[in-house]
Amino acid sequence: MRNRLLFLTAALLLASSSGWAQAPSPLASATQGTPAQAPPAVPAPLFSGTVDIGGLVTTVDGDEARFERYRDTRDGLYSTFNLNRETARYVFDANAFHVGYRDQRYSAAFMSRRVNVDFDWVSVPLNFSYLARTPFVTNGGVLTLDDSAQRAVQGPTNATNDGTAVGVPCAPGAAPASCSTPALAAQAKANRSIYNSLANAFDLRHRRDTANVALNYAATRALDVDATLRSSRREGQQPWGASFAFNTAIELPQPLDQRTNDASLGTTWANPRSMFRLGWNGSWFNNDIHSLTWDNPIRLTDFSNGLAPPAGPYDPSGYSNSNGPAQGRQAMAPDNVMHVVSATGLYKLRGRTTLNGVAQFTQQRQDDDLIPWTINSVINQPGVFAAFPNLAQLPRPTAEAEAVGVNTLLNLNSRPFRRVGFTVRYRYNDRDVRTPVFDAREYVRFDAVPEEGEEGFTHQYDISRQIFDASASFTPSGWGTVRVGYGHEAVERHGRGFSDVGEHIFRASFDAFSSQYVTVRTSFDTARRRGEGFVEADVDYEEGPGGTQPTLRYYDEADRDRTRGSVIVTVMPRDNVDVYTQFGGGRDRYLADDSVPVSRPGELFGLHESDVLSWNAGFNYHPTDVVSLGANYGRDRFSSLQLSRNASPPPDPSWTDPNRNWTLDNDDRTNNVTAYVDVLRAIRNTDIRFGYDYSDSNNSFAHGGPRVAALTAINQFIPLPDVENTWHRATTDVQYFFNARTGVGFGYYFEKLDIVDYSAIDTNGSVGFTPETGEPRIDWLGGLYTGYGNRPYTGHTGSVRVIYRF
Amino acid sequence: MTRRTFFFVTAALGYVLALTMAVAAAGGGGGGPDHLRQGYGGPPKLYAEAEGPPLRSIGAEGAHAVVGADLQVRPAAQAAQAPAPATGYVGEDTCLSCHEDRPYEGTKHGLAFNERTPAANQGCESCHGPGQAHVDSGDPALIRRPSQMAPAEVSALCMTCHNRAEHALWDGSQHDQRNLSCVTCHSVHAPQGEGQIKAKTQPALCATCHRNVTNRQHRFNHMPVREGAMVCTSCHNPHGSTNVRLLRAGTTVDEACTSCHADKRGPYLWEHAPVSESCVTCHDPHGTNNERMLVSKVPFLCQRCHVTSRHPPTVYEGYLLNNSQNANKISARGCVICHQMIHGSNAPSGHALLR
Repeated sequence: MRNRLLFLTAALLLASSSGWAQAPSPLASATQGTPAQAPPAVPAPLFSGTVDIGGLVTTVDGDEARFERYRDTRDGLYSTFNLNRETARYVFDANAFHVGYRDQRYSAAFMSRRVNVDFDWVSVPLNFSYLARTPFVTNGGVLTLDDSAQRAVQGPTNATNDGTAVGVPCAPGAAPASCSTPALAAQAKANRSIYNSLANAFDLRHRRDTANVALNYAATRALDVDATLRSSRREGQQPWGASFAFNTAIELPQPLDQRTNDASLGTTWANPRSMFRLGWNGSWFNNDIHSLTWDNPIRLTDFSNGLAPPAGPYDPSGYSNSNGPAQGRQAMAPDNVMHVVSATGLYKLRGRTTLNGVAQFTQQRQDDDLIPWTINSVINQPGVFAAFPNLAQLPRPTAEAEAVGVNTLLNLNSRPFRRVGFTVRYRYNDRDVRTPVFDAREYVRFDAVPEEGEEGFTHQYDISRQIFDASASFTPSGWGTVRVGYGHEAVERHGRGFSDVGEHIFRASFDAFSSQYVTVRTSFDTARRRGEGFVEADVDYEEGPGGTQPTLRYYDEADRDRTRGSVIVTVMPRDNVDVYTQFGGGRDRYLADDSVPVSRPGELFGLHESDVLSWNAGFNYHPTDVVSLGANYGRDRFSSLQLSRNASPPPDPSWTDPNRNWTLDNDDRTNNVTAYVDVLRAIRNTDIRFGYDYSDSNNSFAHGGPRVAALTAINQFIPLPDVENTWHRATTDVQYFFNARTGVGFGYYFEKLDIVDYSAIDTNGSVGFTPETGEPRIDWLGGLYTGYGNRPYTGHTGSVRVIYRF
Repeated sequence: MTRRTFFFVTAALGYVLALTMAVAAAGGGGGGPDHLRQGYGGPPKLYAEAEGPPLRSIGAEGAHAVVGADLQVRPAAQAAQAPAPATGYVGEDTCLSCHEDRPYEGTKHGLAFNERTPAANQGCESCHGPGQAHVDSGDPALIRRPSQMAPAEVSALCMTCHNRAEHALWDGSQHDQRNLSCVTCHSVHAPQGEGQIKAKTQPALCATCHRNVTNRQHRFNHMPVREGAMVCTSCHNPHGSTNVRLLRAGTTVDEACTSCHADKRGPYLWEHAPVSESCVTCHDPHGTNNERMLVSKVPFLCQRCHVTSRHPPTVYEGYLLNNSQNANKISARGCVICHQMIHGSNAPSGHALLR
């Protein structure tokens, strides 16, 4: 509050100083009676700008955090300041918005003959939930629970049902220790977790503050030197997973304290024909919380059955039955560094031809200290190390992670004749991961169970892309341009399914833009992507890498046929009105291939198809110079179909049984409406602005296939309700000016969200299956959560301000 | 072509290009105005105004621009002493004696203290060419008019000065190839928004062609564009870029996204393949109706690729959600409540991204 008053006082003082600047000079009176001279020039104001300040009030019914989301609408001061000064030698401009609030922003710019300096400060809050609750107490990167509660859940021995309290529903503690039937689930829903009464409410949110300074020095007419510095800090909390077993899923507030510092330096030389820039970018990411350690809600001590490996002292099924550690520990985002050196050039050749390009070299490094294999004291002992010798120490103490990138882009663009042109482009991207392989064939799953597996080495996902694109344009009549083109993308991958993937792309477009009455822009492209050298895991091709179905294809590299098109038509019957329509659509079809000779030819698991359809229609109308209005209606549809199989690993017969197949059809349909009306000075001295936005979505997830039919037959399948959300936003701003300098402003902001989302668990249960209450339930089947979810709200914000221009 | 060979060829081409331009520079020549707001290829710009009404007609470039009543025009600086017009040039005062509705004072072009601006050179005629013939005859065809010129010619005109930093890669860029020109989006004489664009806000401007994309800022999960904390050019450079999709930073999608989300940059001990491939394998950064801007809801998004045995390809539906401990795979964070290190893990025991 003190800072806000100081800033307001300073702004008003600066504004009032313009009055001083315009006061008649005392020298004027001394010159009376002297010979007549030319009247003195009226001095320019010292500063000019705007002070827009007042009060802001907000009321919210429902999920207030979601209403705010990236804003801070707390009751209090509304403020927007602008200050600028322009002289014959420099220009200065400064702005401030919502001073002292979590979404405050500042900017300043100075420009003189040779120097350009820009400064920005932007705060962006991300408000997850003000309805969250957690029993965890946070101290840096350590989250703890009440020991007595943990003891009550664990019980006096290691027996599964020894506890007297429920920690996580359907996990060991008080019964039930697992849930697989409606009766057990009903029991679990009724027996509330002890942590439900111990959880404290808190605001789950974080904020990103970014300061950016950019400097450009024009050393000569041709030579610039530029530098930037940026520092971005992210601090607060976000919902985060931290689990112990299949039935002990934990969501807790992850503490965040991260900073990214970026710097760049460059030199640009340019004349009307050419340009060359040499630049360097450096980026340093620092995380003050390197690891997260958190208590297990169902265990106070590490589980031990007193046996020797392989039967103990850990529970060999501890990753599924929750007989595991008292604490978990995970490695958070590691500190990392990136350096980029680049050279960019441009040269204009004869015949209206331009050659431009860039070469860029990137190095990324990360060498954080590695956390141990596990925090579990029962596993960290000689008896276990004797059976798992690699767990006695790490292969190396730090990550030693590194990736090097080479990136090049060359463009040749030519218009040798007025009606003919062509463009050729070549892009090369290479990412070479140089991280030494880390041997983790012996590791600890969920801090609960040591295991050994053949596929325990780290993977290096190297990617090398070469993209060639050529197109030619023809403008036959000057009314429109036809363009046709071909592109080819070749990708080499290491560590993925296919080692080589190539895509041929054909495109065509027509643009008519010369008429003052109509503009038409259309485009069409079709692409065919095919992979070679599929990596198989087993000689008999019964399993793919990582135990996948051998006919699974990852959709980001799978064989695919793609078709896309768009049309934009804008009609302008008069110069104060335009009517437009936009249409866009795309279709991806993923294909089975014969890379691996399996006994199921034509079978394809994974994504089969993905479609998008979007169209919009609207208008803009300016009946007079002071009135403008417009509206748009749009409809989007995104749909996809995927195939999977619910099976046990081979040689179980379900592995190859097509009756275990199931599909998922995701269909997301959204209606959008946008409208605005501006009435600026149509009413004397009054500006009125009104805007309205609307989005209405229905997102369905429909299962199908023989496996679903089988589950339905035994009453173990219930279709998921659609995820529906309807959002309205209306804004109004009215400004009335008493004179050229002073006025008042009235603002009103309305926002409403109605939402039904089955993944949000309210006090009644899963929303969509049960009526929403708007209040979270933090203990649900198999999990202990923060209560963060998608919930409805209705919010109103009003502001009354005084506006002063100077 | 092997990787090493291509690296050599690329380096050689770059050297030739630099050498060629250095030789061309030996012929002298001046620079042009280009006021660098950020370092080229640097971090995205974040500051923006709140959203306003969309762009008015842009059918014929510049022909129907409107001087908005809320146009912020700074007080004019004292004009530098203009030099005597060169041959064929008539001087700015002559132009304004008829075209008084076409000032550029208060814009960056009008800053006479900057030797690269039109105001410090030939004024109006810096862009419109010598005006003597036009003044003598009154024939509008005898003066350069961007609204009547072919898009490529307009771009070439502006690029004589704006040929560095943000604009260096315009030629051959996606918008240039589709016959957009500088005056499609910008107005020298009657801008409405920051950067001399023809709309009050960037989303309003971009929506004239990319309405299907700008609509997504109204989706349930979105970047803070509609709140005014970001704009389209926070991530994209519409003038041409080293990256795909006109992304501003880096040369791949991942490099662009991790320029802000550096915690996802890694490299990690354990990498997640689709993350190394591209962030948009799983996310739509313009906005979606799914949490964390995913292209589909978890666990279904994960099940597009994880078709193995046991729990990944289980049918997660309403029965499990209401009657089983496996509800934790379909409620709240879904798969990511256990596999929380979804972007990569630095834990020795993190091969399933569990720690």
